Amino acid sequence: MKGPKKQPRASEISVPGVDIEQLERLLEFMAEHGLEEFEYSRGDFNVRLKKAGTRGGEFAYVAPAVPAHAVTHVGTVPAATVVPAMAAPVAAVPPAEQLHIIKSPIVGTFYAGASPEAGPFVKVGDAVEAGQTVCIVEAMKLMNEIEADMAGEVVRVLVENGHPVEYGEQLFAIRPKAKK
Amino acid sequence: MFRKILIANRGEIALRVIEACKELGIATVAVYSEADRNSLHVRFADEAVCIGPPRSNESYLNIPQVISAAEITNVDAIHPGYGFLSENANFADVCESSHINFIGPSPDLLRMMGEKDQARREMSSAGVQIVPGSQGIIEDETAARAEAARIRYPVIVKASAGGGGRGMRVVRSEAELPAAFDTARNEARQAFGVPDVYLEKFIERPRHIEFQVLGDKHGRVMHLGERECSIQRRHQKLIEESPSPAIDERKRAELGAQVVKALEEIGYSSAGTVEFLMDEDGSIYFIEMNARIQVEHPVTEMVTSVDLIKSQIRLAAGEHLQEVVGSLVPRGHAIECRINAEDPETFVPSAGHITVFQIPGGPGIRVDTAAHADAVIPPYYDSLVAKLIAHGETRAEAIVRMRRALEMFVVEGIKTSIPLHRKILADPDFAEGRLDTHFLDRFATVSSG
Repeated sequence: MKGPKKQPRASEISVPGVDIEQLERLLEFMAEHGLEEFEYSRGDFNVRLKKAGTRGGEFAYVAPAVPAHAVTHVGTVPAATVVPAMAAPVAAVPPAEQLHIIKSPIVGTFYAGASPEAGPFVKVGDAVEAGQTVCIVEAMKLMNEIEADMAGEVVRVLVENGHPVEYGEQLFAIRPKAKK
Repeated sequence: MFRKILIANRGEIALRVIEACKELGIATVAVYSEADRNSLHVRFADEAVCIGPPRSNESYLNIPQVISAAEITNVDAIHPGYGFLSENANFADVCESSHINFIGPSPDLLRMMGEKDQARREMSSAGVQIVPGSQGIIEDETAARAEAARIRYPVIVKASAGGGGRGMRVVRSEAELPAAFDTARNEARQAFGVPDVYLEKFIERPRHIEFQVLGDKHGRVMHLGERECSIQRRHQKLIEESPSPAIDERKRAELGAQVVKALEEIGYSSAGTVEFLMDEDGSIYFIEMNARIQVEHPVTEMVTSVDLIKSQIRLAAGEHLQEVVGSLVPRGHAIECRINAEDPETFVPSAGHITVFQIPGGPGIRVDTAAHADAVIPPYYDSLVAKLIAHGETRAEAIVRMRRALEMFVVEGIKTSIPLHRKILADPDFAEGRLDTHFLDRFATVSSG
């Protein structure tokens, strides 16, 4: 959604070449957004940053560095392009994964829970089943329950409680359940 | 006055409303489908909300999505433009119950004008002459036969809820009636969901004349003169002009007064257009009213210097007609050519990527468009790419300006109707104002033979 209410944040960070200042900016950015790990790729340039003390290799999610307007799927950078050892040493880099994005099917106001007291339907780390209610989008005084369209683990909640969402806006990033 | 307006439309008209809002100091919200993400109306609005996938019934025609977008952006009014939801009484109802101003007439008036046989009855009883025809809906073939005999062939069967030429059939003799009646009913059911049709005297060579009106919320209506839109193909207007070469000062005053009196009686507010057919003898019959702003509104704007969109917004906010328009001093003559993305010979739509878009300028030329070089014309919506308007002190000057502007209008990457417009503007009958709604058929025959 374009408008005064929302500004692109992550997208403002650009990494045209490497220097210390830029790395510092990236580290600040990670701290600011509570990220433990950050990966960036543009053309031939790749960088992967990881906070010391983070348990190794479990988490390879890239912050959705997309302007509020983009509709494209957010995915992690393919493992093959990752250049390790730019910052803290990384133990065995896990194969990057394709995250599934649950998008809003309607325009309205996003609510993470059924009521202000009830707490969110889902939070990061929760396992969800396909068809499970993950949030509510209120449209024209009607509470529309939005269901997960795929089973998996909630990796990130992409909208803040009470914020407006447009059609196709990204709500949750889900790591699809591994098929056995 | 309104603080913030949502424009429930796309393309050039969305841009036109944004222009008016900017001049009035009103903030704007654009809504768009996924196909229009990079459109100019999205770019130039203060805020924008994606409301659905490319298909219009899931986006621009989706009432809950549009209303939700209005609610999350906290607007106080919605401008519906033309087409889409502009004449949807149900939408106007929902706006009202959501405490959002619908910039247009009341839901009841939209309903009345949307039912064409009801509109004709109301206008007729308010003193406006209508085409001789059936009093209301024709239920069956027997009734159709009797009515047709009374008003005499040729007659035309029309869908009661119709528009755009769908659900219409001309019948020249009693033998043709049963088949035409059935086809019109079927088309009407498919296109509008109701099979209701009515019958009317068919005028062989009519001119299309329409009056632009503005009404305030305090019972006052005024007219801003007429437009002639006789250059049509398949009932779609292609060229419009104001004033009409077939209407003189006396006729204009007489008809205008009739229209104003009828609409004040009915209680019409906002911008609207009252459409007439003029027969070969110069008699004029009401056919329908479009209760919205029209595509061809710029020709009236050029001649009267009245900004119809700004007026419409101010009237919706409750201002008086007297302070919005004041006295009218029409000047000169204006012509509009609709530049469509279509093959100029076959009229097959031509969606695609525009590579070159060179707009003409100079004295008396206006172009209303949301297209630009590198823009994509999506296949989901109507084919209007630009409106080219030429104004001159006289009709002759407007014509020469239009000719040179058409020469200097360059669009590449898609096919457009520009070559067709060049031919029409070069036609001696057009130059002399000998027009009727079959002009284009006749013209096509001449040009291909």
